[in-house]
Amino acid sequence: MDQALLLALDAGSYILAIVLVAMGLVIIFGLMRVINMAHGELFLLGAYCVVAVEGAGGNFWLGLLLAPFAVGLVGLVVEQLVVRHVYHRFLDSILATWGLSIAIKQAVVLGFGPASQQVSLPIAGSLSLLGTDYPVYRLFIMAVSLAVVGFTFWIFFRSDFGLKARSVIANRDMAACLGINTRRLDRTTFAYGAALAGLAGAVMAPIMSVDPQMGLGFLVPAFLSILVGGSGHLAGALVGATVIGGTDSVTAALWSPVAAQIVVFTMAVIAIRLFPDGVVGKRRRQGRRFFGERR
Amino acid sequence: MLKVEEISAGYQGSRVLDGFDLRLEAGRVLGLLGRNGMGKTTLLRCIMGLLPLAAGRIALAGRQISGCHPYEIAQRGVAFVPQGREIFGELTVEENLRLGCLGRRQPLREVPASLFAHFPILAERKQQRAGSLSGGEQQQLAIARALAGAPRLLLLDEPSEGIQPSIVLEIAQRLKAVVRESGLTVLLVEQNVTLLRRLAEQVLIVEKGRVAADLPVADLDDEELLRRHLAV
Repeated sequence: MDQALLLALDAGSYILAIVLVAMGLVIIFGLMRVINMAHGELFLLGAYCVVAVEGAGGNFWLGLLLAPFAVGLVGLVVEQLVVRHVYHRFLDSILATWGLSIAIKQAVVLGFGPASQQVSLPIAGSLSLLGTDYPVYRLFIMAVSLAVVGFTFWIFFRSDFGLKARSVIANRDMAACLGINTRRLDRTTFAYGAALAGLAGAVMAPIMSVDPQMGLGFLVPAFLSILVGGSGHLAGALVGATVIGGTDSVTAALWSPVAAQIVVFTMAVIAIRLFPDGVVGKRRRQGRRFFGERR
Repeated sequence: MLKVEEISAGYQGSRVLDGFDLRLEAGRVLGLLGRNGMGKTTLLRCIMGLLPLAAGRIALAGRQISGCHPYEIAQRGVAFVPQGREIFGELTVEENLRLGCLGRRQPLREVPASLFAHFPILAERKQQRAGSLSGGEQQQLAIARALAGAPRLLLLDEPSEGIQPSIVLEIAQRLKAVVRESGLTVLLVEQNVTLLRRLAEQVLIVEKGRVAADLPVADLDDEELLRRHLAV
């Protein structure tokens, strides 16, 4: 019983961190049809933001607070300089953002060196849950992630901004014809997706080894989550991450991390075969039929 | 109100509009009639900024709009009801209308009651998914959504397409009421002569990307003339 609870909690915190990364990817892909290969590096930047703040004498909490804003700002700049030039050019967007990911990684190596950095655990204690001790900080990660996921759903399904974003996702040209400023929406959404990744990186930093390669470790499961869950809906990221993250951490704990990789990839292949548009998949959008894909 | 000067445009090498000219006074309803492929829809897309011009210019109330982004053109007071309606099927009726309101230069958060007064069926179906509406209801939604942006100029592309005749008449009636009340300027592309007769005052016949004839709407009664311009 204890073992099961521990496992569930570990899986939960891993799943929620993947959700943060995957949701950013889904939002950006949904709106701009850009596959952001640099998303893992935005996660990385979030973690290094904490490292930098601690290095400058600040504490972890300041770093955590700053990370989403700093990385969001990076997102804004990246969108302006790179991404907006490759909107709706599927292959180019992959190449451009991949190049960007390499550049960011190397910049981090130049700034902080290739070695891994330590971020101190900000809350040390553990909490007794149904007779099992569990680190408080991990519970904190789950709480933060849940809050942010909830907030993101609220933004996209309850706010005016979200309504506009959903209209652009459904039919970009028609939304523009109604006077919706699609350009501003793209910029804001990209920055928001980046901020989510930054926050995820920052909040995960104390329990990971912070090194220039850490982004990939989250980008891959996030991509798998979207493939399994479906890219057409925010809930796809949630469902996909639960399936992928859950399987990964449970198999890794019960068997071995290598076996977990094999199981996860095999499962992803099967899921994609059975649900080509994802478990929460949607039919192809019809809105583009008339307008074409000019911009 | 609208001035289209010598515009040319097309798709990938084929020129659909070739030196098209048009002048539309404020408060008028102008019909555009012509066979398929003659450039009527292309003209509307050019005005809306969805298609770049190869030559010429378009001005709205004295200010050039050609070269602007569609959302800027919309915010300057042009609304578009495209062929096929293009409503947001996954969103509710109310959300569709709210998007029209949010697209205004001064965004409006609530759908004005006057809009529902013109289209009572939409008030009834407010919370329904727009994709579940019938064709005629969807067309009314598309028109209402365009009007939600409080436009000065309304571009309508074949509003009667795929809708049963009795509903076409109803839509014509509602549109007429809106136009009368708001003094809206309308550019109406339509193959349905009945609808044109009900709404338009003047009709341009479009042929091969140019204006072939400019007629008062009463001339549409001339069967011989219609056959000459429209028969395939």
